Amino acid sequence: MAAPEIHHLFHNPIADHSFSPDKSTLAVARDSNVELYQKSGAKFSLTDELKGHEKTVTGVDIAPNSGRIVTCSQDRNAYVWERTPSGWKPTLVLLRINRAATFVRWSPSEQKFAVGSGARVIAVCYFEEENDWWISKHLKKPIRSTITTLAWHPNSVLLAAGSTDSHARVFSSFIKGVDTRPEPSAWGERLPFNTICGEFLNDSAGWIHGVSFSPSGNALAFTGHDSSVTVVYPSAPEQPPRAMLNVTTRLLPFTSLIWNGENEIIAAGHDCEPYRLRGGESGWQLTGTIENKTGPGAGTAREESALHMFRQMDLKGQTQADIQLKSTHQNTISTVRVYEETDGVLRKFSTSGVDGRVVVWTI
Amino acid sequence: MSQLNYRTINIDVLDPDASINFPMDTLLPATLPAPTTSSAAAAVAGEVRQLLRGGDPAAALRHVLDTAPLGGDERAKEVHLAAVTEVLQGIRQAEMSRVLEGVCTGEDGGAERADCLMKYLYKGMASPVSAQTPRKSVSPQSTGFSQIQGRNLGEGGGGQQMSVLLSWHEKLVELVGTGSIVRVMTDRRTV
Repeated sequence: MAAPEIHHLFHNPIADHSFSPDKSTLAVARDSNVELYQKSGAKFSLTDELKGHEKTVTGVDIAPNSGRIVTCSQDRNAYVWERTPSGWKPTLVLLRINRAATFVRWSPSEQKFAVGSGARVIAVCYFEEENDWWISKHLKKPIRSTITTLAWHPNSVLLAAGSTDSHARVFSSFIKGVDTRPEPSAWGERLPFNTICGEFLNDSAGWIHGVSFSPSGNALAFTGHDSSVTVVYPSAPEQPPRAMLNVTTRLLPFTSLIWNGENEIIAAGHDCEPYRLRGGESGWQLTGTIENKTGPGAGTAREESALHMFRQMDLKGQTQADIQLKSTHQNTISTVRVYEETDGVLRKFSTSGVDGRVVVWTI
Repeated sequence: MSQLNYRTINIDVLDPDASINFPMDTLLPATLPAPTTSSAAAAVAGEVRQLLRGGDPAAALRHVLDTAPLGGDERAKEVHLAAVTEVLQGIRQAEMSRVLEGVCTGEDGGAERADCLMKYLYKGMASPVSAQTPRKSVSPQSTGFSQIQGRNLGEGGGGQQMSVLLSWHEKLVELVGTGSIVRVMTDRRTV
């Protein structure tokens, strides 16, 4: 396994990050702006800032094909940014929400995006040609609390959402005229807008931090503040799931997770390093960390001179300042994203966290 | 009604969307066991005492954790807490690790028992009286105030009970990690 590629951008938390498809541009949410970094050599350097939000930006996503960037913020707005010869031009999206927007992701078709919010709705937004603006339809029904995370099914119709009411739900976000009718699957056959295709609660019921569909879309994984990962295999529409497997861990909670093929999940969170889970329909288990402990903390145990040791003891009362974690990230990882994959199997993934680092990991 | 003081009306109660009207029972999983009564809890306590006297502390702990009244009323939970505390105090310090390994690991629900024991440790640390002295009634008075009892830390049974719970806590965290503590906070199936 190659060493992870570490980019320490600044000393602020990164709420969300997104790479452009050619991996030359990196967008990160920092305070109330989104910063765009360009790759030059092995480093990323700041080239552009997307200014427009008035409060903390909570989500940023670059559409792989069109290159459009969508951002959302606690100021209750979302913007779609398009590159023009004179710079990035924002278009306001009418979200119609009265609480902070918390999360945003483009659908795989790039015709729509979904914005989660504290107003207990998910705004599914699409472009209306005749009026020349982005409008939204609300997924509302059984949501009882803030939406914290979202994930799209590969068919761009089904949408998974995690909420602070401890439920992970699967909705249909079918919009006539925008979407093509999806293939029937275990999640449902007829899927009008706001059909609830699944509603899941695990036994120890924590806030949901991360949801993700498997590459085929036939399984859903979610993780919450109860330090567990739950994998759901649906059986048929309106039926209880074929299997719902819960893995409780001895770690601090995970905040984000992605699939690697159908039998592996990568999750990271408050323990500051990515972990791997393996399994299938018969059972899942945590297999261990992906890190091989060569982070900045591990390499510092070099030999010291006696003079240096006594000087340190005199100055600080200890010989070694124990201020670094042994992991690559030095604080909570907030986002895990796919970086490079072929047919659902990962080759690289990226993480960003509260420590201002973006790390690209090779599996 | 001309003198109605509008400032004293709690408007959040009237707003169905307000957070205090959140239906907490939606957070309880469907697998929650049926409610038990305090007499059932007392019967369990008797069985446990017998196991403990028979010299099998591991079986006693296993039994008392398996029968936790997750869906019981407050009285049943209190009686059960006393039984758990009794078991914990009945196991010698030197035996703790061995008993825990037997009870809280393994495929047959060991992880659930570990989480359940952690809930009892925190509940035990939160409740002021030791198991031996019968609890004085601290039922809320009609005025809405309750008689607040001192935690009697460091004196008599209370301090000793706390140190027993803390050494169990230390051993349990060693075995099952911090995840179990996090689950005590999130889990709505209280003990």
